Amino acid sequence: MASLPEQSSPNPLLFPAYTPFSSTLNRFQKWRADLGLPNPGTVENLQKEVKATHLTNYAFDGGRADLTKSISMNPLFQVTHSFALGSQTMAPSYNFGAIYASEKVFLQGGVDHDGNVSARMNQGWTASHVSKMQAQISQQAGHNLLQLEHDYQGMDFNLNLKAANPWPTDLTGIYVGSYLQSVTKNLALGTEWVYQRPTPATSDLVATYLAKYTSSDKSWIATAQLQPAGILQATYWQKLSEKVEFAADLQLMAAPMRRDALATLGAKYDLRLATFRAQLDSTGKVSALLEQRFTPTFAFLMSGEIDHFKNAAKVGVGVMIESSALSQEELEMQMQQMQMQQQALSPPPPTS
Amino acid sequence: MPSEDTKERIAKVIEVGRTVFHYAWVPMIIYVGFTRSNPQPSLIKLISPLA
Repeated sequence: MASLPEQSSPNPLLFPAYTPFSSTLNRFQKWRADLGLPNPGTVENLQKEVKATHLTNYAFDGGRADLTKSISMNPLFQVTHSFALGSQTMAPSYNFGAIYASEKVFLQGGVDHDGNVSARMNQGWTASHVSKMQAQISQQAGHNLLQLEHDYQGMDFNLNLKAANPWPTDLTGIYVGSYLQSVTKNLALGTEWVYQRPTPATSDLVATYLAKYTSSDKSWIATAQLQPAGILQATYWQKLSEKVEFAADLQLMAAPMRRDALATLGAKYDLRLATFRAQLDSTGKVSALLEQRFTPTFAFLMSGEIDHFKNAAKVGVGVMIESSALSQEELEMQMQQMQMQQQALSPPPPTS
Repeated sequence: MPSEDTKERIAKVIEVGRTVFHYAWVPMIIYVGFTRSNPQPSLIKLISPLA
């Protein structure tokens, strides 16, 4: 490697300034910055594009109505009433949700008709450190969940630590640590360690190995997750055009006890006023989801799933109404404030 | 290791904290959103979906 000239400025914390350690560290940091590796994203978002294209998280059953009321744009404050008519799989339910988001803080809370409370809070200390909290509290004793998480975005890596239901006195609970590092401009490799401790005496450590390959023009992404116990999940996502995305997902279990496989193919069409998702499963399920927007305030949802092998079908119909409590002038004032803030953050281009 | 007494006290504190969190989380978000949003909204906007 060609020797680099000493351009590192002295670190005032280390005296004398040019100790061999600090100069080597500065050379290493400079070499790393020169590689120009992109940030790989978090481990949770490894399959984000695939999850947005497949409708497994969006399909629903029965009738549904969502009324969203935005009370303020900046900071964002929204209140949501969700009504779900009963279906074969779910009882009728009502859910009240509130979201508050400012630059550094995100708060979300929801209450069920049963009194179950779901809570989420994100706090961004700096641009790279984010702490998150997620909780679900119910009247039934065994269903409570608290998850604390801390996420650090480095220059070309991501470190994430989670603790689920940690009990302060005997430290039982589930702890997850994950690390994802960009190795080349396109490839990122990482691991995730899950340490389960249901009682103070028993504990279990499971490791997963992750890989993510992004094409140079960001038009397709392939990921793989492997557990040495014999579980593999591989996904492939491609953006065929501005309006069409395609995703494939394969899950294999090759454990001595169970051998199972599931393949899912899905496509998403983003039209001007509608989003349409279609999906085909290896268990014989064909599903489709349509979200059609009629006006900026009214959207219509339709979800259908047919299981050919079991000869069963599920259909869901829903409406989403968004209303803003702001009058037209207040809305314009908020838009102006947001634009001014954006201009303050990014300086205007220099006039030649 | 903390004593049995301390463990019981911690468990009781956590139980009280959980109950407080259960009842106070959503009202806290609504309070924070109301006082910090601009323009300051009136109370009727929260209850009626049409206002």
